[in-house]
Amino acid sequence: MNPLSIIRQFIKGLTSDTDPEQIGWGIALGFLIGLLPKATLTAQLLLVLLMALRVNIPMALLTMLAMLFLNPLMDKLTDPVGYYLLTSSALYPLWARLYNIPVVPWTGFNNTVVAGGLVVGLVLLAPVYLLGKKFGVAYNASLRDKLTGSKFIKGLKASWLLDWYFKGN
Amino acid sequence: MRWSYILPRFAFLILVWAFFFFAFDPLLKWSLRKGMEKAAGAKVEIAKVETSFLHPSFRMTGVAVGSAQEEFTNTLEFSALEFRINGAPLLEKKFIIDEAALAGLKFGTPRKTSAKLPFVKEEESSFVAGLKEESKNMALGRAADMKSGAAASVEVSADSLSSAKVYQDLQAKYEAQYAELSKKADSKEYQARLDAIKTSYAEANAKADFLKKAKEFSKMRKDVKQLTEDFKNDRKLIEETAASLNEGLKTAEEARRRDIDAVMGKMKMPSMDAQSLARLLAGPAVADKTQSALKWLALVRKYMPENSQKKMLKAEAKRGRVISFPKEQAYPSFLIKKLAVSGELGLDVPLDIAGTIEGITTQPQIYGKPLTAALKGSKAGRALDFRALADNTGSVIKGNAQLRYSGIAVKELALGNPASVGASITGGTGRFEGALSFEGEKINGAADYRIAGAKVVPQAEAIQPAPLKAAVMRSMSGLTGVIIGAKISGTLANPDIALTTDLAEKLGGAFKDVFGAEYAKVRAQAQEKVDAALKPFKSKLDSLTGSRQKELKEKLDASQKNINGSGDALLNDLKEQASPAEGGKMKLPKLKF
Repeated sequence: MNPLSIIRQFIKGLTSDTDPEQIGWGIALGFLIGLLPKATLTAQLLLVLLMALRVNIPMALLTMLAMLFLNPLMDKLTDPVGYYLLTSSALYPLWARLYNIPVVPWTGFNNTVVAGGLVVGLVLLAPVYLLGKKFGVAYNASLRDKLTGSKFIKGLKASWLLDWYFKGN
Repeated sequence: MRWSYILPRFAFLILVWAFFFFAFDPLLKWSLRKGMEKAAGAKVEIAKVETSFLHPSFRMTGVAVGSAQEEFTNTLEFSALEFRINGAPLLEKKFIIDEAALAGLKFGTPRKTSAKLPFVKEEESSFVAGLKEESKNMALGRAADMKSGAAASVEVSADSLSSAKVYQDLQAKYEAQYAELSKKADSKEYQARLDAIKTSYAEANAKADFLKKAKEFSKMRKDVKQLTEDFKNDRKLIEETAASLNEGLKTAEEARRRDIDAVMGKMKMPSMDAQSLARLLAGPAVADKTQSALKWLALVRKYMPENSQKKMLKAEAKRGRVISFPKEQAYPSFLIKKLAVSGELGLDVPLDIAGTIEGITTQPQIYGKPLTAALKGSKAGRALDFRALADNTGSVIKGNAQLRYSGIAVKELALGNPASVGASITGGTGRFEGALSFEGEKINGAADYRIAGAKVVPQAEAIQPAPLKAAVMRSMSGLTGVIIGAKISGTLANPDIALTTDLAEKLGGAFKDVFGAEYAKVRAQAQEKVDAALKPFKSKLDSLTGSRQKELKEKLDASQKNINGSGDALLNDLKEQASPAEGGKMKLPKLKF
């Protein structure tokens, strides 16, 4: 995803796909992706899923950004969870089998933060979605108009580069 | 579904396909050319590179690698290199090639365009530059000065002597090593083991159950014998290590010889011993060949990391930890199981060569087999046999190579330096035999090149003293053969080469005939000056080794006496307990435990 495309999706997302459910799912998916190291196939596939679904992109991107700062703390939870799962003797045959399937090691499942992050992220997905949905209601009620009417967003929309890019796409 | 997102991605995939179909091969060709140019330090031409992704394969044709030393010569060229890459390991980013073929390999072919790369300067190793320099600086014309008595005025100080530094280094090394050996020779450890056995003996002796007692006594006898054996082995090891320290004195002696030569140089006197003359005659010819060989060896070392195991087992990721699981089939990152090589050697009358190189890999520890190479060729009285092995499956890379090449047609070979003395060898046939081994950075090798049936023409025009010139001409007249020997040792970064040639001995003989007495006198003067400057260092080292060796011996003797005494006494006690004197109370049954 190139930077222009991100800006485009971001601005577009401020006014479209803003149903509380869409905002909720955007935040939930952003939270899940944000927990994982990005240089893995798992994170990249989740990003593709995020972009392919009709969810709110700006909220997802902002959540991912926020997770960057929270990750040093979250890793202290996801790393031991992942370590426990990956070293569990009951799950050992499953991991060993996955490890020997082509392409699967590229998902980084054998990284403690990826495995732990997926589990923690999936467990917290529903609560985060619900919280995100509540935030979506509040956003639509008071924040959306303020943001779209702000000088910064107006300035961005008016820039010739983005204008050309939007028309071209 | 957000089709506006999905459709552009499909278009992108089509673009990716188009890129690989139309642009990948030219780009790969360009990057391969740049990479090879960087490795060779000269221009590289590649006619065509073809790749296929459906059935992963690679083919490169018309490759010529220029020489960094000779502008209009190719180091090597080959007509085609082709292989198929296994598909399944490729999904794990592993390039596994079962069989590859390198055809039309030729060395030293001429090229029409310059091979020089802009801004690239071939760096000559210090030892090769030294060899060439020695040859250049050898001016036999100065030999006439020997009678002038100029030698006496030259001052020699310890600071200017390389051997003084060697003596100082040796002293520091000996002090550290003798301290370590002395610690090892101490009987404390053995005494502790003896005390433990004695305590066990006392405890066992107090027991009433004679079966248990017998079992423990039997174990103790074994322990005492083991202790004596261990000490014997340790003593042998300590004595051997102490003796090996004296090897360092050979280095000092070699440095002293070089210092004497250097002082002779200061006295404007050329060095006339066989070693120096051999370096003068064969040095320049051997230097370039050695540099090429070392360059290739360094390249092999570069792409066979010291211990790729360390990399393989790296467990820390940027975030989290990576847990590895056993692989049903673990592949190295890059592996060519077998490369069939065919080509020609020599340009005028080429010799067809063919062979295989097996186990070319970047991770030998995973592959578990060493790299081996075998090339052979024979034609009309000429024969070549090359074998090499590089084993990096352990903690240290080691290997060896042998080359035998007979029936080499000698067109022209120039030895020595026309500015001082040399010889031109034409015609005849040569036989080369060489072996090189390496372990880690250490290298060791010997080579022998014999030319027979040739015409040897002395080049002595630059020699001023007429009697010496005549003697040199006489010494080489009628010769039909030459033997050049080379021994290499030291490390890859700092090799040490010793050269010999029968021409040097003849030249030395001629020199002695003319200036023998004067030369010996001047050399004795130089030696005297060097020895006087070295005396404090040498006597300090002698006294250190003498006293430390004595101290070590005394310590070992004392330890041995103690162990033998206590051990024997304990064994006797155990023996008595096992078979008490007549009328004794206990007779242990003979049991095997």
